[in-house]
Order: sequence, then C-alpha cells, then structure tokens
Amino acid sequence: MSKKKVLVAMSGGVDSSVALSLLLDGGYECIGVTMKLWENKDPISNVVRNSNCNTVEAINGAKMVCDRLGVHHYTLDFMDIFKKNVVDDFSNEYLSGRTPNPCVRCNSIVKWETLLQQADIFGIDYIATGHYARIQHEENTSYLLKGTDELKDQSYMLWQINPEALKRTLLPLGEMTKAETRDYAKVNGLETAQTPESMDLCFVSGDDYSKFLYEIMPEKMNSVTSGDIMDETGEVVGEHTGFTNYTIGQRKGIGLAFTEPRYVKKINPMDNSIVIAKKDAMYSKHCYVSQLNWFIEPPYDNMNTFAQIRYNSKGCDATVVKEGDNYKINFNEPQLAVTPGQSIVFYDGNKLVCGGIIEVKN
Amino acid sequence: MKKIYFDIAATTPVDPKVATLMTDVMTQTFGNPSSIHKFGQESHSVIERARLQLATSLSCEPGEIIFTGGGSESNNLVLQGILQSGDHVITSSYEHPAILNVVKALESKGVESTLVNPNENGVVDCNDVISAIQPNTKLISIMTVNNELGTINPIAKLGEISVENNILFHTDAVQMFGKLPIDLQDVHIDFMSISAHKLYGPKGVGVLYIRQGNKLPAILHGGGQENDLRPGTENIPGIAGFGFAAELATNNMTINIENILELEKRFLSALDNKNIGFTRHCKSHIPGLMNISFHNVKSKPLLMNLDMMGVAISAGSACASGTLMASKVLLQIGVSEKLASESVRISLGKLHSKDDVDYAIQKITELIPRLQNTPEINV
Repeated sequence: MSKKKVLVAMSGGVDSSVALSLLLDGGYECIGVTMKLWENKDPISNVVRNSNCNTVEAINGAKMVCDRLGVHHYTLDFMDIFKKNVVDDFSNEYLSGRTPNPCVRCNSIVKWETLLQQADIFGIDYIATGHYARIQHEENTSYLLKGTDELKDQSYMLWQINPEALKRTLLPLGEMTKAETRDYAKVNGLETAQTPESMDLCFVSGDDYSKFLYEIMPEKMNSVTSGDIMDETGEVVGEHTGFTNYTIGQRKGIGLAFTEPRYVKKINPMDNSIVIAKKDAMYSKHCYVSQLNWFIEPPYDNMNTFAQIRYNSKGCDATVVKEGDNYKINFNEPQLAVTPGQSIVFYDGNKLVCGGIIEVKN
Repeated sequence: MKKIYFDIAATTPVDPKVATLMTDVMTQTFGNPSSIHKFGQESHSVIERARLQLATSLSCEPGEIIFTGGGSESNNLVLQGILQSGDHVITSSYEHPAILNVVKALESKGVESTLVNPNENGVVDCNDVISAIQPNTKLISIMTVNNELGTINPIAKLGEISVENNILFHTDAVQMFGKLPIDLQDVHIDFMSISAHKLYGPKGVGVLYIRQGNKLPAILHGGGQENDLRPGTENIPGIAGFGFAAELATNNMTINIENILELEKRFLSALDNKNIGFTRHCKSHIPGLMNISFHNVKSKPLLMNLDMMGVAISAGSACASGTLMASKVLLQIGVSEKLASESVRISLGKLHSKDDVDYAIQKITELIPRLQNTPEINV
C-alpha cells in the first residue's frame, strides 16, 4: 500500500519542523509548504521591514529542515487571501471598538481551508501543522482536544476550523510538551531548534497596533479623533486620544489619576467615547456569542460546559442558554473584562465543544 | 524514486570528466598565477590553456577572451563599461534580467534605452532594431538565444547592422554557447557573454569575448588580472573547468545535437500518441528546449506535481495581471493569457536517455487528467 501523503505547513519555527520530522518517523510521505502571508512594507519607502511573519530567515529555516529530511518544499503566496480575510477583518474590528483574534481567522480560513484546497491540487490526503492540540478521529466525526501540555495548549485558537477539515488534519505535537519539542529538534540537529517563541501578531512589527492601523488605512484612522472619557454614570472625566488606542480591561495609559485604579470598560465608536470603571465593576456574569462553530450536535436546550474567554486564561464553568436564535452564556463565576470580538471557546473536559465570538449587549 | 532533471536550460551538472580535472587543479595547481615561482607558472599555464580551448570553441584569438565570474558579470562589464550618460542603447524586452536590470540601473545615470519587442515568432526583427537607431546610439545588445523560448535571433544580420551604423554590438550568448556552433570569424560581434554552467561546466565562471580593437573601460579595479578588466586572483579550477567543458561541447556538438533532437521528437510524438492537448510555442528553437502549454493545466500545479514524482521542469513565469500568473515573454509575443499561464519549459540535454523521456511522459500522462482545470498555485 502506498504511503499516506501529508502537506505540512512549515512556518520556519521549531514546532512545525518537529511536526514534519515526527510524521516522517510515522511513515507518512510529506511535502513542506511555507505560506507567504504578509510583507511589512514601509508605505513610503517601500522597504520591506522585519515582521515576525515569513522573514527570509524563517523561510530559509523551513527549507533547510525540509532538505535535511529529504522533503520537497514550496513557498506558496497567500498574501491576497490573508489580507482580505485576516488583516482587513482585524482593522475593521478595531475600528468598531472591538478586539479581534486574527490568529483564529488565519487558522480557519488561510491555514485550513486554503491549504486543503492546495492539498487537493497536489493529490494529498492530509494537512498537518505544529499546533499543540490533539484530534480524536471517530467513525463519522473528528474532535479537537486540548494539547497534553496545559501551558502550551493552542486549541483555543483553532475553534473556527470547519469540523469536516479536521478529518483531514494531523497534529503531531498534540502529546508533546514544548520542552520535548525543543529537545527533539536539538537531538535531531534541526536547524530551527533554537528559533524564538512567536509572541506578537505576525503581521504587526512589535505590538503597536495603532501605528499599524495608521499605516494600512491612514484615511480611516485620521477620522479617529480624541473624545470623551466617561465614568459609568455618563459624567465626562477626561479626554481619550482616539478610541483605537484602548482595549477593554486596560488599566495603564488612561492618563487620569484616581485613588482607586480605573479600567476601560466600554469602547463606543458611535459617540467616540470610552467608559472607565473600578475593578469590581469590570466583572460580567454573562455575555452573548456569535458565529458559533459546533464540533458536536448543537443542544436543543441549555448546556453545562466550561468556558474560556481569552487565550491562556483559566476559564470557568458556564451554561449556554438558547434564546431563540441566539445563545447567552451565564458564567458560574463572574469574569473579568469580557471583551467583544474576542473568541470564547467551550470545553467538555479536554474536548472542544464549540467556539464563537463574544458579543456584549448594552 | 527516479529523479530526472529536465531543466538543462537553467543549469547543468558538472561533467564528471570536468569535475575530475577541477579537483586535480584545486588540490595541486594552487599557486597564484601572478607569482614568479614554478607554482605560479603552473597555475598561469592552466588558465592560458583554458583560454586556448575557449578561443578554439569560438574561433577567435585567445587575447580576445576575458574570464569573469559568470554571464551576468560579463554583461555588466560591457554595459556599464561602454554606456555613459547621454548614450543610447538598443536591447530587447525579453532579455535576461542580467541585461534588463543593468539597463534600468544605467537609465538612472542618464543613459537612454529602447527596448525592442520580439515578434510573434519569438525573434527580434532587424527592422525594429534599425528603426530604433538614434544619432547617440552607442550599443546594441540582443541575446543570441532567448532562455524561455529557445528561439534564435539573427545575430549575423544584427552584426552587419551595427557595422553599417558604426554602433557596438553585444550579445548575451549564455543560452546558446555549447548547444549550437558559433564561428566568430563569420559574424561581427563586438562583445559576447557566455557562462560555463550551461554546458556541464562549473558555476561562477564566465567569459567575456572582446573583439580585437575594442576598448572597454574597466568598472572593477585591482591587481590588473584579465587585462585589467577583471581584477582578483583567478578562479583557476573554475577556469580550467570551463576550458575543458567548452572543448567537450565543441567536439561532441554534432552527436549531442543529433541525440537531443531524437529525444525531443520522441517526447513530442509521445504526447501526440497519448492525445494530450498541447501547444509548442514558436517555430524554431535550439535543440532540447521546449516551451509547451498543456491545455487547461496551469503551469505551477504541473511543475510541482511532476517535481514530487521526481521530474524537474520549470515555468518561466512572472506575475502579469494580478492573481493570474502568466509568462511575460509569451504575452509579449502575443500568446493568450490562458495559454501563457499554462506554459512550462522542458529542456533536455546530453545526459538524457530514451528511458528518461518515457518516464516523464508516463508521469505527465498520469497527471494531466487530474490537473485539468484546477486553479493556479501562487508561488
């Protein structure tokens, strides 16, 4: 029988390099691809600057590892798809006063949907990435499980993937810890063994989102002007520098002095204001959720589950309540800084049940 | 897995006989050719012997040959050496970037240029060159053979035109040398660039032919090697390898051409016999270079899938209209966007056998039905 073929997404980091090597050990026939997603071009000089995404070093790292392991490697240009589906959405969400998770959209639309289309062109059965999460393949469905390494688990970022696509997905690092991955790379002499952990968004240099937004849509950003900072009673207590400079839950940089710290509670692009509050007013007992993606048959009734409202947060037990076409989430413990636009992901033990986007009704 | 390299036009492996010579030279003939002692004398002789071999291949004088770091460097030496602010150069729009980008750089220094388009046969029309001549035209630079199409330009006629108009004539002959005979006594060429790695010689070594009597101002300055035009201690093994590779190519040219044309015929008639729809672009070409559009199959998916089966070909593509990837050169000669986006370059050489051709045909026949009407891959 001929070997199963896998298209391995190679970022040029240690994780995807080890994923490739593990698949080869497991008897798969692999092809490495690096997706070119973004170039940080200086809008005036057109000079390409370093971003964390697709640096020459990263692409070369992927190429060297593929070569070492005797695997074909191609760099695929997905820049149009990435710009349209990820960067534009990121910008629009910020302009709507929301805080998006661009990695979630990138995973579902670019990494999974588009990569599977490419796999079809190559006549390839599976795709694989170096994410820390597991897939449990059952007869008719496949489930996404948390990675064994609690600290590194990335299942939160994968909630939007089409469940059908999971059937054709392999995640070789699901049962590894990050330390084991690094050790493996070192022992096997992979050139990418020492690559640093990626922290910020790949398409933004550093973490200055506001500067990035100015660069890619200067006109829209020029219309974002200073406005009122209000307290919860609606009284104006100060002036903000433009609402895109703030995120929900932010404490530092508000620029006002109070004896008790204040946090950004609401961002209202409609009247160009932000609302600040004391910490005890920052907790919510419930929220709503949109764009739900179910990995199980959606329940007819209420569902007790475990909810995580941001990446790497602790999470809490919660109830999903169906209200007509909408779903309302009741948290068993009030949650701090529930942020519209962020992903909320629901688990049953280690199994990802569904995920969606947090909505807050005023 | 069987591995077949059908990309001879991109580069070639070093002929084992050439590699043996180079290894010997590298380890044994290491003296600095400029040194007075015996070590230096030996190295000097290696270089001069290679110069003789190249002069014989080109039918020119050894003194007309300068060893360089490759075809691109030879082109730069000529264009940057000859053209000054206010001068005009005529070249073609489908030259290698090693000409086009030099011209672009010179334009920013006040050099004027006219880019002549190839005609529908993929050849530069002499009348278009004549029409482009201006009073300040200093140089005509037209490639001998186009690297993507394999078409052959009327070099002899262009040489005559340049003489009649008192203009210097340069040709980038990198894609021709070693594949077709050339006799520099028969044609008037002032400068010619060639490269070793296209004829089973090493990479990183080239030649600039400079017709006797032509003065070329230096752009690189140093120790005076290669007639003051290419300073730096000579690449002795590379030069020795080039000399030998040129000799082998010249001595075996007739038989190589015969064999390659035979393989080409076998390849094309197999496609016909298997009823694979294809268009071969342009009427005449150098032996072994086939620019082919497989109908309804985008070039990149075919290239990559064949690569995964061990068959290496190329697709000389550039982004022409947004997301559609199509060969710029083919668009220039009037091929439709669709056909241009389906074009691949398959190039055969002396190292190939009938088995290689049959294997590639088998894989192409397997792939084409699956790849028909799949979208393009952007790379």
